[in-house]
Amino acid sequence: VLTAVTVIGVGRLIVQRQDYENSIERSYQREIAARVQLAEGTRPAAARATISREEANRAHLRDQISGDTRDTVILVGCGLIAGLLGALLLFVGLITAMRRPLEALVAAAGRLAGGDRSARVEVGGVSEVATLGKAFNDMATELELEASERDQLDRMKDEFVLTASHELRSPLTSVQGFAELLMMERDSLTPRQVETVEIILDNCRHLVRLLNDLLDLARSDAGRLQVRPQPTELGPLVEDVVRSMRAQTDGTEQTLTERIDPNLPLVNVEADRIRQILVNLVTNAHEYSPERASIQVRARVADNGVEINVTDNGPGIPPAQLEHIFERFVRGDAGLTQRVGGTGLGLAISRSLVELHGGTITADSAVGRGSTFTIALPTAGPDAVEAAPVASPAIGQGGA
Amino acid sequence: MPTILIADDSETILLLMRTRLELAGYEVETAVDGQEVTERVDPNATDGPDLLLLDAMMPRKSGIDALRELRAAGLETPALIVSAHQTPDDADAPADLEISGYVTKPIDFDLLLGAVAELTEKKAA
Repeated sequence: VLTAVTVIGVGRLIVQRQDYENSIERSYQREIAARVQLAEGTRPAAARATISREEANRAHLRDQISGDTRDTVILVGCGLIAGLLGALLLFVGLITAMRRPLEALVAAAGRLAGGDRSARVEVGGVSEVATLGKAFNDMATELELEASERDQLDRMKDEFVLTASHELRSPLTSVQGFAELLMMERDSLTPRQVETVEIILDNCRHLVRLLNDLLDLARSDAGRLQVRPQPTELGPLVEDVVRSMRAQTDGTEQTLTERIDPNLPLVNVEADRIRQILVNLVTNAHEYSPERASIQVRARVADNGVEINVTDNGPGIPPAQLEHIFERFVRGDAGLTQRVGGTGLGLAISRSLVELHGGTITADSAVGRGSTFTIALPTAGPDAVEAAPVASPAIGQGGA
Repeated sequence: MPTILIADDSETILLLMRTRLELAGYEVETAVDGQEVTERVDPNATDGPDLLLLDAMMPRKSGIDALRELRAAGLETPALIVSAHQTPDDADAPADLEISGYVTKPIDFDLLLGAVAELTEKKAA
């Protein structure tokens, strides 16, 4: 439109100019002819009249051409302005038509990235935007399908581990139970037979530990690992753990001591779970430290609750390993000790359990000097004055 | 001599528990599932077993279901539930059912015998 208006305007101006110039020229020719007549003296009155008429005629033509030029300029100017306005309106219209679906797309992409797999956009608007919206929806549908397949696989894995660790318990009960029966008659066994049965029992305990760890882990993954915190006295719990571990540390002439602050406040924990964590930490200290090492379990009042430190003066953990120590299947180098029999799951589970209690677990270590594992637990509320009975309703935990 | 009725669908577990309990001086009867337990136990008899030791999960009828039926019929004999689960709530044990305790697999026989002694003494007293 803009170009057309300009071309028409300018074209018209050129044609008008040519007409005007031709008219002026003819007017001058008529005036010159009149002036020749005047000089020759033929019809002087008519010649004079012609001269003045042609002068007036030219003045009129000049006015007309300048008016026409002005009109054309105005026309072209108006055309330009109208064209610009039109373009601007078109642009604004386009922007508006694209902005809303694009904004919706951005919002939906954000939701999708945030885990909302049902995020979709309404397909519509300018065709390119509609195509984009459709492509987004197709991609989101694909992602949703993949995610639900993955979820299903995860659930199947969790179910499998739960079932497997459950089903393995009955045969394990038989193996362990009958080996124990044999041991009850150890007086009639040869030393070699006794040793054999002891190995069977050792491995049963290891299997139980592995099964319990796997079960905890599967529960944790399935969101089914739960703790039932109750106001608990930590002192007797720590003493109990130390007492139960002493047989093992005595076997390697390690010193195992406890140091419990007087007036420890009650903590809000599930006693069995804290026992499980402490047994795990002390077992690690025992298994990774050399003979005659010393291990201390210390319970003390801390800033926002109670802290329990399990410290050993064993070989320590290199920084690169320390960083990943609470991850699954990460195990320290056995080094010189041959006792290490863990599953690589103990610390991962301990961390899950401590966090379920609203606490934290941390590790500090220096190579050659030893390691300290610290669990921080929140105190029970101010109204909890009486500790819940420590006894568990379950008879037999089937090994630590 | 107190009598204990054990129910488990595994022959080896039954043999193991029977052996340990008999060694400790108890009389032992066995059943292979909850169905057999409900058929054999008369809730109103005075000469029934002194303690039930029931596996939580058995084909045909679970130990929990068998105990529920017997309790509804008026049985007051103490009962221990044996479960492969680590914690009692996993055995889907209802809170309204009177259960004297839970035994987890693998069985710690020192603890089990202690609990059995306590429960059968209570019954005798």
